[in-house]
Amino acid sequence: MGLLRAYEPPAYMSDFDSIPGQREAWHRFVLESFDLNIQLVAGKLQKLDPSRPATPQFYSAVRSDPPGPLVEQAVVWNAFPKELLRRYGRDRALVEADWLWPLSAYGYNWRYDPGVPADTGAGTPGDIYPDTYLYQPAVEYCQWHIDRNPHSGRIRRVTFTSEPPEYWQAMFGGTLKYSRVRFPGDKKLLLHLYRKLVDPNIALSDLLVAEPFLSPYGKLKKGDYNPHNKWNTTHGIVHLSAPPNAIRAEINLAAVATVLYEDQLNNPVVDPDAFIAGTDMGGPNRNSDPTIAATVNALARAGAMVTLANPVGLYMDHIDVTGWEIPGGLAPRDCVRIVRGEERLIERLVVELPTDEFDVSDIRIGGVPVIYGGQLAECITVKLVGVAAALGSVHNGRLKLSTAGYVDPANAREVYPGERYEIPVGSVPAFIYESGEVVTNASRGRRSRVTSPGGPVR
Amino acid sequence: MTAKPAPIWPEEPVLDMADIQGIAVPGFFKPYQTLLGVRYTRAPQPIDALKQFLRKLAPDIATAAATLRDRRQHRGATPAAKRAPRSPPLIAIGFSYQGLLGLTPGASEIPSLAFKNGLARRSALLGDPTDPADPGNPVNWKVGQPNKELDILIIIAGNGRAGVARRAHTIERALAGIKAHVIRQDGNVRDDVPGQKGHEHFGFDDGVSQPGIRGRATARATDFITERHIDRSEFPAAALFGYPGQDLVWPGEFVIGYPQTGPDPLIPGPVLAPQPSWTRNGSFLVYRRLRQDVGLFWRTMRAEAARLARLPGFANLDDVELAAKLVGRRLSGAPVNRTPAGDDPALGGDQLANNHFRFDSDTPQLTLVGGKDGFPPAKADPIGSVCPLAAHIRKVNTRDSPSDTGGRSSTYERRILRVGVPFGPSATDRYAVSRSHGPDRGLLFLSIQSSIEEQFEFLQARWMNDDSRPKSPSGNDMVVGQNAPTADGVRRCSIFGSGLQQSAVEATGQFVIPTGGGYFFVPAIGALVSVIAASSPR
Repeated sequence: MGLLRAYEPPAYMSDFDSIPGQREAWHRFVLESFDLNIQLVAGKLQKLDPSRPATPQFYSAVRSDPPGPLVEQAVVWNAFPKELLRRYGRDRALVEADWLWPLSAYGYNWRYDPGVPADTGAGTPGDIYPDTYLYQPAVEYCQWHIDRNPHSGRIRRVTFTSEPPEYWQAMFGGTLKYSRVRFPGDKKLLLHLYRKLVDPNIALSDLLVAEPFLSPYGKLKKGDYNPHNKWNTTHGIVHLSAPPNAIRAEINLAAVATVLYEDQLNNPVVDPDAFIAGTDMGGPNRNSDPTIAATVNALARAGAMVTLANPVGLYMDHIDVTGWEIPGGLAPRDCVRIVRGEERLIERLVVELPTDEFDVSDIRIGGVPVIYGGQLAECITVKLVGVAAALGSVHNGRLKLSTAGYVDPANAREVYPGERYEIPVGSVPAFIYESGEVVTNASRGRRSRVTSPGGPVR
Repeated sequence: MTAKPAPIWPEEPVLDMADIQGIAVPGFFKPYQTLLGVRYTRAPQPIDALKQFLRKLAPDIATAAATLRDRRQHRGATPAAKRAPRSPPLIAIGFSYQGLLGLTPGASEIPSLAFKNGLARRSALLGDPTDPADPGNPVNWKVGQPNKELDILIIIAGNGRAGVARRAHTIERALAGIKAHVIRQDGNVRDDVPGQKGHEHFGFDDGVSQPGIRGRATARATDFITERHIDRSEFPAAALFGYPGQDLVWPGEFVIGYPQTGPDPLIPGPVLAPQPSWTRNGSFLVYRRLRQDVGLFWRTMRAEAARLARLPGFANLDDVELAAKLVGRRLSGAPVNRTPAGDDPALGGDQLANNHFRFDSDTPQLTLVGGKDGFPPAKADPIGSVCPLAAHIRKVNTRDSPSDTGGRSSTYERRILRVGVPFGPSATDRYAVSRSHGPDRGLLFLSIQSSIEEQFEFLQARWMNDDSRPKSPSGNDMVVGQNAPTADGVRRCSIFGSGLQQSAVEATGQFVIPTGGGYFFVPAIGALVSVIAASSPR
């Protein structure tokens, strides 16, 4: 195959072509993320045998070209947030997914109750993110915005995006958190695209940080690009902005998931749920992260070298319109437009009827009218594209599981990652069938973190 | 050396075996069935008569307890005793939404929109043909077509055709007496081709992989509804499976009012609350009358195998090998992952071995109860080089693999109990072109689940028909998937050659054509008597 010359922008999008040095900076930015994660994996493997260099099974096609056939492995998942499904059931999840939550709720994790936010989430002392900025709790690398008829409340248009925030931060220019790459940027282009995609009356100042605040993207200063700006949250959507939805999260997860693990009895950890809960990678209650991690890890266990295909990105693979019924003789395909990206590499997709006579609320799926954007999200498949090479060529050792997940047996809906979050009273170690002893140890060590809703147990 | 932790065995609930219908727990797995589809007249007098009929029938409906007893007797019997049709046929009853609503207004409180809309209305969502000229379109169905949906489905199942026919005839006569319209459909295990008993019409052994319902029949600690065949020294396998590879699934996935799947398979998830209250101990039944075009299936396999065999990496590929890859099992039922070189009928017929395999990891050997598995174990196949990701068995049960809906728990949530049988005579020439007035053959697909939307419909629409879910790169389910959802009306999937060459298999024709059916609620026997068949006050 030969070495890859450069990482291209997601979905081969051409916005950067007009900015001198921008495409090159994007390549260096993606490569930097690969390099850092390969180092991270090497560091983990080094613990197994400090006397010899480790062979990370995550690689960059710019740096190396493993022998033999390459097997492309798209990893796919559903766009509707499973975290909400698990926590609330489908009826309530459809409502919540269309709402925006205060950014503070993300730090407050499972204790945030959108039904009584003042009591359990937003504004609680100790939260790291502010209440004043919002995010959609759609953490499957796909978000949407609903435009309604202001008089009837009916849905006119639903816009979906899988564009990574880094792409738009890069377009603004400067450096991103944890990166040394400096993007030339073009603020005029940024504004032009916002106006084109959302509203022609947007002012550049609308997109900038007015007062400093702590965001998942770092300490944002006055005048910085604000990914949480109103045209990307309350008034429209341009790119992903829920905290975990980022291209570097994708690269990191694909990289660290190549590390093999075993429990305290030296048994390999292979169960997808046990693996993600016991290794503290991503969100165990999502569609996306468990399947990304487990798919990559299965390839690594098969001795493969693993990478992400160029162009590295997060994409909507397709929207399944089977069973859609649309009035006025319209076919489903008439109502779905790819606005950015291309077939199978979709970055922006709009569902809208090409007529004033009917609107999205007139669509029925299996006889059920569309009243939530989430019903359309349920039809969308999101993906990243991995590549496995040189199957059977690497035989790394296994690290011991580092942490544990917990489940509340009285209400066993979701997994609480023990390493990062406090866990509900009465929770017990999960997946003991695959990670028993280490979980028991972790449980002993973490007892002080157990809390009840509303605050830590004193 | 770390001490081995003591296993923590899940405590499984005791199910209300006297109230639950036996078709739901443990499930009718009888070789001969007759389905009586009933439409009744909406007028006070016929409804009163129908309720009287239902009250009279209720004591004859097979309870879960009686069906389990029958199964245990059957499994303990000698081969000769098994052949003897001595035990009386088992009877089950289900009601469509309209059929139920005509008998009790409380049916309106059942939340399932799929149930309320019915199969014909949901047909397009399942990928069925939307062109009214297509034989698979609901307007052309033989049973349950729009405006002729069934109100009631009565299932009579037994070990002998004659006994089933007699019992069905008695019920038919009683229904005729109350002026109800009855549509009869017989289904029989295929026993007219030597070596293919129990195989569906394409020729593959069917029903090899069924979920095992967690739960106990009595308070006795080990009185499990699903038999356990893995030695308890094998933790966690003995806690996760009945037969090796048979997932134990919490009963709320099949019966309302019991715990469903949670994130951890050994910890019961939330209880599926009955709504309204009398739906407790009830289930949903999906009936699909599926015609199978055997000739088209095998001609397509033959042509595609011949085309592929000319490509590097696919030398000597023939139709049987290609079909086995697309099913994921060989004709005998032996999993392709355990028999990469060809069929092994002994493995296919061995319940201790034929379902024991994983996809993403090497499959371990286990100590078993009552026998051993001496066949070569399956090797990890994460990319689908042996068993393609689009193989039917990988489409409907992802086993240890993750899917588009997350980790392993996401496959437990989708499992259904399949209790149907084939219908029609076997094809004498498997390549023959079917004649328009030739014999009709196929499958009376019957499945039990607690949610039509999240289980049956999800499997058909989200996994089987789609070209990238649950795992990618895969393709459509080439055996059962429908063509209508594809962009150009052609089903495709990807398979690997011996050197990891990838090539596409295509099917322009439809091997499985829907020809009828319905969505039904299978009430608890108590609810049948006290709610559905209760006299209406006037």
